[in-house]
Amino acid sequence: MTDPRVSGGSRYAEDLQLPGMLHARIVRSPYPHARVLALDASAVPETCVVLVPDDVRDLALYGCQIQDQGVLALERVRYAGDPVAAVAAATPHEAEDALPLVDVDYDELPAVFDAVEAAGADAPLVHERAVAGGAAAYFAMRPQPGTNVCHRFRIRHGDVETGFAEAEVVVERTYRCAGAQHASMEPHACVARWSDGLLEVWTGTQTPFNVREDLARSFGLPEERVRVVSLPMGGSFGAKTFVRTEAIAAALARKAERPVKVVLPRSEEWLTLNRHPATISVRLGARSDGTLVAKQVTCHADTGAYADCGPGVAQKMGFAAPGPYRIPNVWVDSFCVYTNLPPNGAFRGYGQMQSTWASERALDALADELGIDPLELRLRNVLREGDRYCTGETMHDVRFAECLEAAARAIGWYEGREGKGLSLVMKGMQTPSRAAVAVEAQDDGTFVLRCATAEMGQGARRAISLLAAEELGVDPSHVRFPDADTAVVPYDTRTTSSRSTYMMGRALVEAVRELRRSGGRRGVGEVSDQGGLDPDTGQGVASTHWHQGAAAAEIVVDEETGRISVSHLHTAIYAGRVVNRPGAELQTEGSMIMGLGTALFEEVAHVDGQVINANLSDYATPAFADLPDRLTYDLIERPGAEIHGLGETALPPVPPAIGNAVASLGIELHDLPMKPESVLAAAEKKVGERV
Amino acid sequence: MRVRVNGFERELDARADESILDVLRRELELLSVREACGIGVCGACTVLLDGEPVSGCLLLAPLAEGREVTTVEGLDGSHPVQQAFADAHAFQCGYCTPGMILTACRLLEESPHPTAAEIRTAMSGNLCRCGSYTKIVDAVLRAAAGPV
Repeated sequence: MTDPRVSGGSRYAEDLQLPGMLHARIVRSPYPHARVLALDASAVPETCVVLVPDDVRDLALYGCQIQDQGVLALERVRYAGDPVAAVAAATPHEAEDALPLVDVDYDELPAVFDAVEAAGADAPLVHERAVAGGAAAYFAMRPQPGTNVCHRFRIRHGDVETGFAEAEVVVERTYRCAGAQHASMEPHACVARWSDGLLEVWTGTQTPFNVREDLARSFGLPEERVRVVSLPMGGSFGAKTFVRTEAIAAALARKAERPVKVVLPRSEEWLTLNRHPATISVRLGARSDGTLVAKQVTCHADTGAYADCGPGVAQKMGFAAPGPYRIPNVWVDSFCVYTNLPPNGAFRGYGQMQSTWASERALDALADELGIDPLELRLRNVLREGDRYCTGETMHDVRFAECLEAAARAIGWYEGREGKGLSLVMKGMQTPSRAAVAVEAQDDGTFVLRCATAEMGQGARRAISLLAAEELGVDPSHVRFPDADTAVVPYDTRTTSSRSTYMMGRALVEAVRELRRSGGRRGVGEVSDQGGLDPDTGQGVASTHWHQGAAAAEIVVDEETGRISVSHLHTAIYAGRVVNRPGAELQTEGSMIMGLGTALFEEVAHVDGQVINANLSDYATPAFADLPDRLTYDLIERPGAEIHGLGETALPPVPPAIGNAVASLGIELHDLPMKPESVLAAAEKKVGERV
Repeated sequence: MRVRVNGFERELDARADESILDVLRRELELLSVREACGIGVCGACTVLLDGEPVSGCLLLAPLAEGREVTTVEGLDGSHPVQQAFADAHAFQCGYCTPGMILTACRLLEESPHPTAAEIRTAMSGNLCRCGSYTKIVDAVLRAAAGPV
């Protein structure tokens, strides 16, 4: 059978057509922060259906971790792009033509666009109050009343001041990461339909059950009255999570009494969800022999105008910040901060790219001060089997040193380290988390999987089907995996954090065992991982299972133009066991290439709260021409090991490996992306210091 | 308008101001042609116009009048380039794949045995956000090695 991806037969949410369906476009605020004084849609032709504030006043606020977002912004808009109305018409063009006919009066308010500034006492408040809850709020929220901080996460381990008193060398640095856009080739798309009080939504989403919960909450329905079908996605990388355009589609469909489809124009992707910009300050101390004694990290994650899963991102940014090292005294404060920028949320790496950038750059700065080789410094302190992390959890199946050594070998670390850099990453997997799958035997000897795992190109359905075939002892062609439909699949936390192959793989073993034991036609398996962290002390279990990897880069800097050319990029990733070889390779290569974009040029640029590069020409994503001369990797396997998800691990270590390689030439960069102008400025500084 | 699409003469309804992308999707349900950037920089909507790759989002439909348009549906499904993409696993989400395949088809007509560097240059107008690039280069090399 020809793969539909090569025959042109792939279908995504944007392709779905329902009888009588209308097409929607969204009216957005031009101001980053303003009161809405009046909204007049009377000029819109009667052939269109317009969604105005009065149509949504009965709908509750939604939000996966903090309920702070309305279907439309009512009295106040909080970012340039906040939806204030929507139009549905027979064609997208007709809906588009009606947008300027919606007349809105605004009164502009002071706004804030930087997380550190926004966390201060005098900053304008983006939200007066918001309520936390829901299945995706898997930890206690710690909003800081009277400020824009919607969550504060802390780690308190040992006594950090005593630790610094023991230190003979201390480095202190502040690092920044720009926002980034997921830029999936397929934009956000969904279709909503109401039938007899049942809300049905077909959407490209990684989180069908979270979308169901939030829509049910907003529309005041029992969850069983909302059906969410997750269609295969043309890429997502975290963007197609939780409620994006689904609530507007549902509200419009309710008013129109017809199905309504939303497909976002490309430019509106930047107004819907980006990656958290972050400012991270690191203070790191060691004895002169290189033994780490204390680390203090402060993270400010800019979550934009609505929290989305920002609290979770800030928490993971915080708990990954100490890095995979034995440090007796650790102090972390990580703040999730509202600003008047478009919302930021899940993005491949989930906060851990940002803290890995800061921590791994700081470690090289420390190595430089100590006069110790950065590889030696890492190996001297790296977590090993049975060590306890600063959260108190005991680490198992620990492979950091192995990853690091493999990465160093790949670039010939000991043959001269000019232009070479290394870095390590520890990345948590969603904890706590639940997964379940049902295996149904068909009359023709085939099997159907009822499973919520979403397909976005990462090959999860292929991997899970291969595992099912192995458990069932049948050829993979005998296993079918239909699109996840919340009406028929058992509950699953969501397809995020590189958890699905690992979690569903274990649930499958249970399901097949149950199928055999019952002698029936259906077996259901469920697994549940417990854990979580106290947000005030950071103690507990951050992750039942750590993703581990290292990156190595070899670069050349053109000091005339400031251009960084990567001649060799290598990652060494602990896979445990590879289930689907081509999928594992593709996810690793894709993560590395995305990491390269993050390292060198990807940046959501804004001026006065307006995104100024919201198109794929001004916002560059890596193309063929950007590939390193050599792109190589090791997927490390061990007999009997657990499956380790590979969806993200190879991204976070790439920017610091490149940054450390650049630093080996005396060019110290603190901010991502490492643009030619920053390289030139830093190179000039280097020359200045020499003089 | 009259246009030859995937080997068949078609009489299509099209406005003067719409793109061939919109017309192919609406009138013929050729859904492999997809709008990703809308400004001709990503290659996802690539179609062949008289054999030359063009961005479907930029080509005004009337400009295709009397000419031949090929989409990936017009290949037979086991075309050597399609086969090579499948064999090399040269895709993840698959959204950019039709454009990649059509661009590669034209490249191999012009240059039957390209080097990896030539492939990267020739395909530089096609973006893959999943980052399947190295395997796409492998696929094109594989197709070049077989009969095209």
